[in-house]
Amino acid sequence: MSAPAAAPPVHVRGLVRHYGTRTALKGVDLSLGRGVTGLLGRNGAGKTTLLRCLATDLEASAGEVRLFGLDPERAAGRTEIRRRLGYLPQNPDFYPHFTVFGLLDYMAVLKELGSRRDRHDEVRRVLVRTDLYDRRHSRVRRLSGGMRQRLALAAALLGGPELLLLDEPTVGLDPEQRIRFRSLVSELAVHSTVVLSTHQIEDVAALCGRILCLDRGRVIFDGTPGDLVERARGRVWEGAGDPGDGCTSWRLADGRHRVLTPHGTDSPGGGFTAVEPSLEDAYLLYTGMDRGRG
Amino acid sequence: MSWHLTPAQAHEYAAHRADEITAMSVEAHLMHCAPCRSLVPTDEQWLADSWAELRDVVDRPRTGPVEALLARTGLAESTAKLLAATPRLYRAWLAATVAVLAAALLAAHTLPKGSLVFVFVAPVVPLLGVALAYGRGVDPAHTLTSVTPLAGQRLLFLRTCAVLVPALTLCTAVALLLPGTTAPWTAALWLLPALTLVAGSLVLGRWMHLSAAAGVMGSLWAAALFTLFLVEHSAPVVLLAPPSQVWWGTALALLLGTLLLRVRTA
Ligand SMILES: Nc1ncnc2c1ncn2[C@@H]1O[C@H](COP(=O)(O)OP(=O)(O)OP(=O)(O)O)[C@@H](O)[C@H]1O
Ligand SMILES: [Mg+2]
Ligand SMILES: [Zn+2]
Repeated sequence: MSAPAAAPPVHVRGLVRHYGTRTALKGVDLSLGRGVTGLLGRNGAGKTTLLRCLATDLEASAGEVRLFGLDPERAAGRTEIRRRLGYLPQNPDFYPHFTVFGLLDYMAVLKELGSRRDRHDEVRRVLVRTDLYDRRHSRVRRLSGGMRQRLALAAALLGGPELLLLDEPTVGLDPEQRIRFRSLVSELAVHSTVVLSTHQIEDVAALCGRILCLDRGRVIFDGTPGDLVERARGRVWEGAGDPGDGCTSWRLADGRHRVLTPHGTDSPGGGFTAVEPSLEDAYLLYTGMDRGRG
Repeated sequence: MSWHLTPAQAHEYAAHRADEITAMSVEAHLMHCAPCRSLVPTDEQWLADSWAELRDVVDRPRTGPVEALLARTGLAESTAKLLAATPRLYRAWLAATVAVLAAALLAAHTLPKGSLVFVFVAPVVPLLGVALAYGRGVDPAHTLTSVTPLAGQRLLFLRTCAVLVPALTLCTAVALLLPGTTAPWTAALWLLPALTLVAGSLVLGRWMHLSAAAGVMGSLWAAALFTLFLVEHSAPVVLLAPPSQVWWGTALALLLGTLLLRVRTA
């Protein structure tokens, strides 16, 4: 089975995924090229399910998934896709009695990374990239939460994958490591396709050229961070007084309120003036809309 | 010094194709023999390679005892690594197997008809091992490893081997130690049912988790034993009688055929 040379790394049409009677994805369409795409959405929106479908971990219940033009439901295509894929699952788990080096070496065997020397060199490379080289002889069970997260990232980086799927990769990272992570990912994105799910708006702002918002299994926004902010213009207000119910609002440090009005541009009240929206406002407006309505 | 490097040896050594012992004696010789030193190319690439190799030897983690043992049997280094990396539960199963088989052996020697304990337990020993060696739920690293190119069929096959080899060895050893074995083949009556149950769970594993599939096969076996026991207390022996062995053999062949077909056409 040979892939057409120009096939996009990710091409999905009408992807549906059921868990028993629950439907987690209800017809997702997307096509991704190089660069970083951020996957946003509330808890349970379907981000992990989508990433698992792309990672060949789950089969689609309906619809079409093509990765590098290959079909993950056929064994030959699936194996070829897996050679070109790195996946960081949400809440990864390991063999606790393994050492960091030993675990990555085991993963490297599973990723078919060649002779022992080549494998070990690759393991060292990802250890350095994730700042874990000094801990290479530690047992996995002795690592802190953030280190484990970096270990899972190191495993995903093995073999220099063309498609990198990261499910909440920055959970538990300290600020310094988070910065390191960002520069690592933006460097990788020059040559590969990165999809990351996150609840951290700053990560999205710093990294993503494109944003996908998922809501209850559907894509409700697909565009650049700038587009998303643009859509929030005229719906973000600040002022004194009580904004009332029905819209999202929070109290600022100076005692005034910041208010998001999902349905159009009517001011929440006399004392409020429209202000420049931030990406976070835009995200809250988008994912909060249904709550306002329903 | 009684020997010198042949050009072929020098070439082998420079290309890292000499085995470890040879490489060591070549190095010892090169230390004090200038003519031979000049035979070995000293280009940058080679030097860099040698340094990298040396660094790897110093820096890489020690190989675990199981992996080292497996590698000594002639398995490829990577295969030995995959076989040695088994989940905790697998090792618990191995320990439990030894305990249960020892108990069965004790029963066989002390109780009337005690051998039956072994005969009915042995077929589910490998099945339990398979249930605990592979898959989501029993293997903590499954989410990480399941999307690698070698995962799936290959890893499953290796883990099944890692179960079958010790299980069959242990069961055979115990079977040979059973009292009053009239003919040697009666000690092997458990073998076909054991293999059939494992093959059945692998076939079912396509539609459910492997541990669930093994549960189904184990329950079928227990249900069959129990039903026959209700009919007549000695009836379960029928399951292992020579005529039944023909059925077990047929079923095993069919299941293996299904598995083979699945691997081919996947
Ligand atoms: N293994 C599963 N079995 C049954 N239902 C599941 C399973 N995994 C997810 N779901 C359901 O599918 C829906 C989508 O879940 P998913 O994990 O994809 O959400 P998510 O966007 O990743 O959420 P979070 O931000 O909390 O990680 C949820 O309603 C969830 O309850
Ligand atoms: Mg999730
Ligand atoms: Zn010499």
